[in-house]
Amino acid sequence: MFKWKKLGKVFTPQEVDGRPWLKEFAQAPSTLLFDDFVRVYFSCRPAADSLGQYVSYSAYVDLNRADLFAVRGVAALPILELGGLGTFDEFGTYPVSVIRNGEEIRAYYGGWTRCESVPFNVAIGAATSGDGGRTFTKMGSGPVLSYSPDEPFVLSGPKVRRFNDTWYLWYIAGRRWKRVNGRAEPVYKIRMAHSADGVRWIKANKDLIESRIEEDEAQASPDVCFAGGKYHMFFSYRYSTGFRSKEYGYRIGYASSHDLIDWTRDDAKAGIDVSEEGWDAEMICYPHVFEVDGHTYMAYLGDQVGRYGFGLAVLEGKLE
Amino acid sequence: MGAMAWKKLGKIFDPTEHSLPNECHQFAQAPQALVFDDYVRVYFSTRAVDKNNGKFLSHIAFVDFAKNLRDVIRVSDKTVIPLGKLGCFDEHGIFPMNVVRNRDAVYGYTCGWSRRVSVSVETAIGLAVSHDRGLTFQRVGDGPVLSASLHEPCLVGDGFVKVIGGTFHMWYIFGTGWTKYAADAQPDRTYKIGHASSADGVTWIKEEARQIIADRLGALESQALPTVIDIDGRLHMFFCYRESFDFRINSARGYRIGHAFSDDLCNWTRDDLNPRLDVTPGAWDSHMLCYPHAFECEGKVYLLYNGNEFGRYGFGAAVLV
Repeated sequence: MFKWKKLGKVFTPQEVDGRPWLKEFAQAPSTLLFDDFVRVYFSCRPAADSLGQYVSYSAYVDLNRADLFAVRGVAALPILELGGLGTFDEFGTYPVSVIRNGEEIRAYYGGWTRCESVPFNVAIGAATSGDGGRTFTKMGSGPVLSYSPDEPFVLSGPKVRRFNDTWYLWYIAGRRWKRVNGRAEPVYKIRMAHSADGVRWIKANKDLIESRIEEDEAQASPDVCFAGGKYHMFFSYRYSTGFRSKEYGYRIGYASSHDLIDWTRDDAKAGIDVSEEGWDAEMICYPHVFEVDGHTYMAYLGDQVGRYGFGLAVLEGKLE
Repeated sequence: MGAMAWKKLGKIFDPTEHSLPNECHQFAQAPQALVFDDYVRVYFSTRAVDKNNGKFLSHIAFVDFAKNLRDVIRVSDKTVIPLGKLGCFDEHGIFPMNVVRNRDAVYGYTCGWSRRVSVSVETAIGLAVSHDRGLTFQRVGDGPVLSASLHEPCLVGDGFVKVIGGTFHMWYIFGTGWTKYAADAQPDRTYKIGHASSADGVTWIKEEARQIIADRLGALESQALPTVIDIDGRLHMFFCYRESFDFRINSARGYRIGHAFSDDLCNWTRDDLNPRLDVTPGAWDSHMLCYPHAFECEGKVYLLYNGNEFGRYGFGAAVLV
C-alpha cells in the first residue's frame, strides 16, 4: 500500500477576490511545471444563475516550486472562452488537462452543453497556448473526441499524456443514464484513446478498469503516470445512487499496467482515504499525481467535489 | 452532357390516408428506396406527438409499392427501429434513414435527433443493421458512427451511403453554426454537404469540413439531404437548398432541388438547371421542393421528393426522360 501524507488544503477559491467567474469550486487540479513555480490548472464556477444552473471555467493558480503552499498568483481571466451558440462547449469548459508540445502548450478539456431530457452532455475539445499557458485558443469550434457506438454520451475528464512518442488520452465515457429519485444521473467508465498527432484519435473501445463496488459504479478522473517500470493509474469511483453522502460518495482507486491496455485494479493499494474530519471528510476524488524535485505529490479534491478547493498529499517512498 | 429532364409523376403517397405505427398520422419525409425483385420499399420519416411537451418525435416507417411506383402493396404495421435511449443522440427522432445493401444485410444510416436547451436540436449519424430484408433494424451501438468534430461543430446528419469500388462513400451534411437573426427569433442553423469514406461502413474518415458543393445563394445557403446516383458513367448528386432563415413560410426563400455532377468523386460541378425540377403552381409542390432521393428501377431513374410543408402530406416522384 502506498503511504500518502496529507499536507492540507492548498487553494480555496472563496479567498480569491475580483473574479466573479471564480466564485467557488476548484476542481480537477492538473499541473504544469515551470522553473520556479508549479502551475495548477483547475475548473471553477461563477454564482449559479436564477435557475440554479452553473457554467464552468478553467483557470490556474501558480504555486512556489520551493513551497507549494505559497501562492504566487491566480489567473486574471479564464484560460478558455465558452463556446458559441449551439456548440458543444457553450456552457462549460471542465475539466482541463495540459501538456507541453514543443514551444506550445496543448490543452484538452470537457465541453458542456445542456440537453432537454437529461441535464447535460460533454465532449472533449482541444486548444493551444502560445503564451506559456495563460490563455488558450481552441483548435476548432467542435470537439476533438466525440461520441461513437460504444461511447454514446458524456465524454469527459480528459487527461493527456505522451509515452514513447504516442499521445494518450484517458477519459470517461457515459454508459447509461439512470433515473435516481426523478433525476437523470450518468453512469460512466474509464476509457482510453491514442494518437500520433494529438488530433486524430483512435479509441481503445474498452473499459479499462473493472467495476468493483457495483455494476453501475461511476468511475471518474483517471490520472496516469509512469514510475518504477510500470504505469500507475489513480482515479475516483462512487456508487450510482446516494453518492452525495459520505457512505456512497467518491473514493480514490488505483490500478497498474505494463502495456496501458490491461490494468489490474487494486484499490487497497491507493493509500489515501477520507479524513476523520475537515475539508475532505465526506469524499475524496480527482487525484492528480505529479513529481517535483524528487517528491511525488497528489493533488485531490475533498467534499462537494472541490467546492471549497483542493489539497495536496506527499508520497512517503516511491511509486512502484 | 446532353439535356436531361424530369417528368413529374405527382404525389404518390399521403400518410394521412394510411394507418401508421407509433401513433404517427402526418408527415412522410425524406423517402428512401430499397428495390426488391417485385416491389420497391420506400422508407420515410413520419411524426408522432410527444405527450410530455407537444413536440414532435420522428419515426421511420415504410411503404411497399409495385414497381410502377403507383400501387401501394402494404404499409409497415410495426416499428422499423425504436427511438434511442435516454440521453442518446437519437432519443427524439430518426429523420431520415438511408438504406444500402451490404451482402445479406441492409445497413440503415440514421440521422438521430436529440433536443437541446439553447438551440432546438443536435443531430448525428447512426448505423443500424437489418437481417430480415429491411423489416426491422438493430443498432450497432447506442452512439453514432459520425458526429460533430473539430471543424464540423454541430448538426452532422442526412447521411447517404454508396459503395463504389469496394469503398463506402458517405455524403452528409454538417452544421457551420447557429445564429439568431432577430432578437426575438429562435436560432437558425446553416449546413453544408461534406463527404466521408470507410472500408467497412462503420468507421469513417471525414474530409473534415470540406464543403463539396458550391453555394448558389451565398454563405447563408443551407444544403441538405444529398443523394448520389450513377447515370451513364457519371455521378450525379441531388440535394435541397434554401436560405438559412425565413424559409418555412416564405416560398421564395424555401427549399428547392439542387444538382451537381462529378467524374472523380472529389470535384463536383453544380448545375441546378440540368436536369431541373421546379415547383408546379397550384399543385402539392407549389411552394417547396425538398428531400430528394434518386434511385434506379427497371432501367429508369426516379427521384422521390417532398413538396409543400416539408412533406406533411406525403411525397411524390419524377422520372428522368
